[in-house]
Parts: sequence; C-alpha cells; structure tokens
Amino acid sequence: MATQEVESEITGTVWKIEVKVGDKVEVEDVIMILESMKMEIPIEAPCAGTIKELMVKEEDSVVEDQVVALIES
Amino acid sequence: MKAAVLREANKPLEIEECQVSKPGPREVLVRPIAAGVCHSDLHFMDGSYPYMLPTILGHESAGIVEEVGSSVTYVKKGDHVITCLSAFCGHCDKCLTGRLALCSSPDVSRKPDEESRILQDGQPIHQFLNLSSFAELMLIHEHALVKVREDMPMDRAALIGCSTTTGVGAVFHTAKVEPGSKVAVIGCGGVGLAAVNGAAIAGAGQIIAVDMVDAKLEIAKSVGATHTVNAGSGNAVGEVVEMTQGGCDYTFEAIGLKATTEQAFQMLGAGGVATVIGMIPVGTMVELHGVDFLAEKKIQGSNMGSNRFRVDMPQFVDFYLNGKLHLDQMISKHIKLDQINDALDALKTGQEARHVIMFD
Repeated sequence: MATQEVESEITGTVWKIEVKVGDKVEVEDVIMILESMKMEIPIEAPCAGTIKELMVKEEDSVVEDQVVALIES
Repeated sequence: MKAAVLREANKPLEIEECQVSKPGPREVLVRPIAAGVCHSDLHFMDGSYPYMLPTILGHESAGIVEEVGSSVTYVKKGDHVITCLSAFCGHCDKCLTGRLALCSSPDVSRKPDEESRILQDGQPIHQFLNLSSFAELMLIHEHALVKVREDMPMDRAALIGCSTTTGVGAVFHTAKVEPGSKVAVIGCGGVGLAAVNGAAIAGAGQIIAVDMVDAKLEIAKSVGATHTVNAGSGNAVGEVVEMTQGGCDYTFEAIGLKATTEQAFQMLGAGGVATVIGMIPVGTMVELHGVDFLAEKKIQGSNMGSNRFRVDMPQFVDFYLNGKLHLDQMISKHIKLDQINDALDALKTGQEARHVIMFD
C-alpha cells in the first residue's frame, strides 16, 4: 500500500467534489472540478486506488501544486 | 438543438442533438446568428488546457434574445446581443474595483446540485466558459451578454465577442498605449490583428506586425500596421529593435508560446511594457533576463482585454460602423455548423484569418 498525493495544477476555486473518502477510483477518474477564470478544470486521479483523504471542500480556494486529496493505492 | 460536442481531447467535434434547460430567474436564452471559430477553442480541443468533458466549445458569438428569466430586465425577446465569456457577478472585490474581467465568482454558473444548462437525454453537458456557442441555442447568465444596435452585421458583431475585445482591450485597458508610442504585435491571428487595429486607434506612432505568414502581414497593414516583420527570418527581435532604434514602448504577444513571450520582452526598450495575451499551455515556464528589470522593463498578462464589455462592445460596434475598426478582412470564410472541424483544421495551419459559423 502506498499513498499518492493528488495536486491541483492551476489556481482556482473548488466548484464540485465528485468523490468521498473510501470511494474506489481508477486512473483519470475526475476527483473534483475547479473553477478558474471561467474554466471548469478537472482534477483527475493520477493512479487507481481508494480515496484516503480530501483536503479541501467545495468553494475552497486552491493554489497551483496544492495537495487536494490522498489516494491509497 | 444541434451542437458540436467535444467528447474526447484530440478528436473531431461531433454534431449531436442536445437540449437546453428552462431559463432560471437571471438567465437568457439566446439564438446565435453567428459564431467565430477562435484559436482558443483549439487549446481545449488538444488538451493543453484541460476541461470537463463532454462540452460544447465556442465562445465568440452574436445573436437574438429568444426568452428571458423572470428577474431579467436588461434585455427582452428580439434584442440583438453579443455574448461574452467575462460574465461578471457584480458584487465581488474584482467587480467592485472595476476589474470585471477578473471576476471568478461561481454566481454566474448554476450550482453543482442544479440541473445543467445543457443536457443530452437528461445527462449533463458541461457548458464551455459559461457560453458554448457552437450550438443553435445558448442559455447564459444575463451578465454574459450586452445589447447592441441592430444595424450591426451579426457576423462582424460575433468577432467583437472575443478576438476584438481581447486584442483592442489589451491595447486600451491593459497596456494603455499612448499616442505616438512604438508598438510591436507578435502573432497576426484574429487577436493580434485586433491589437494592431487597436494600437492604430490609440494613435501609436509605429506599429510593427510580426508573423510568419506574409498574407497575414498584408492584412495587418490594412488594419493599421506601419511596418511588418516576417519572423521566418529568424531574427525578429533584432529587426524590431533596429526599426524602433532601441526597442518598443509596448509589445503584445498574441500566440501563447514561451519563445514569443520571451521575444516580446526582448523587443522592449527601456521602460517598455510587454503584454501577454496568448494562452500559454498550463505548466509552461517563461525565462527572462533579470538584468532587464534594471531598465524598468515590465511584463504583464491580459485576460480578455481587461474588458468592461458592457461599455466596450457597443463602442467597438460604433468604431466598426464609423470605419475605425476593420472587421471585414478578419473573416476568411462563412461556414455552417457541420463544417466546424474543417474550420478548426484550417486554424491549426495558421494560414487563414477567421471562419465564422452562420446559423440558419
């Protein structure tokens, strides 16, 4: 078992979280959607596994490279 | 309604049947008459800017109001409008300090638990930049449109919805170009040509258009360029610095590349300002020579021309109708919605100006 960090590659606001802790995800599944300068930008799972922790909630601001979730793979 | 749907990056758009939701209290249903095919759409098609899929691209259009929500008083059925992706909430710190183009409030979108504005058999289709104009109907927030005079041709009006506002606005609002100044514009697509035209309206003394396609440089001359440089020579920076006898007061990057952004900075004279309009792919770093800051050279971004579009766009319409803003030569072809992929392929070659979709 390893823990993988999920990072945002852009600054924005969390518009919608598509998963909850304990959910199983596959590579490229959408974990959450950011709103940034009118764009809806997906943050996708970098690996398959189980959502271990969500570090943000809807309407939170996030910055580039911020860790927003952990996946146990 | 028919719409051009992007289901997967780097795949052609599919013409599919979709539906729009009923207008909410502050929403307006617009029937687009014309929609420009913009290079920015390609950034999302090729994945250099990730976006939620499926979506309907398109963000540069003009049309007629079909229906309004219960709280809308600004427009009524039959009004001619230009749409704009810079939807403003009107109450955030950016809006209240006059920087409406930077508003990022989610209040102009539907909430995550509400029905999507666009649907296909009950399933949500993600709205692109609050607009999605490659479709026969657009359901948008009332703060994503502006009324315009009815003698303005719709195909020209559509261009004002993005490329004109982005290019002219970068000159007027972001850089605030002064009369008599020396200007260079790198990239002569729709936005770059608009910046050239904007610099001419602002009274710049020397306007140098830089591109690798001679046909585009010819168009640049017709909209106000005083000089041109074909960057294929490999020494665009040197040529511009020589022409201006020491560098520009203002440069504009209208492509979205690391190399041309760095060139825009290198073309500056002491005290000059480089304005980056192009969309540089996510993750790209830009390198500058630190010593240049001693000469008070500056570099800045410009988003949608730092617009206040409800004020700007009617002015641009007037500029067109009184002959100052040259939009006729910006349109290389009128097409139908089902020819959209051909238009996007043509954009990739960089050889042509703009294709405009005309809806029946």
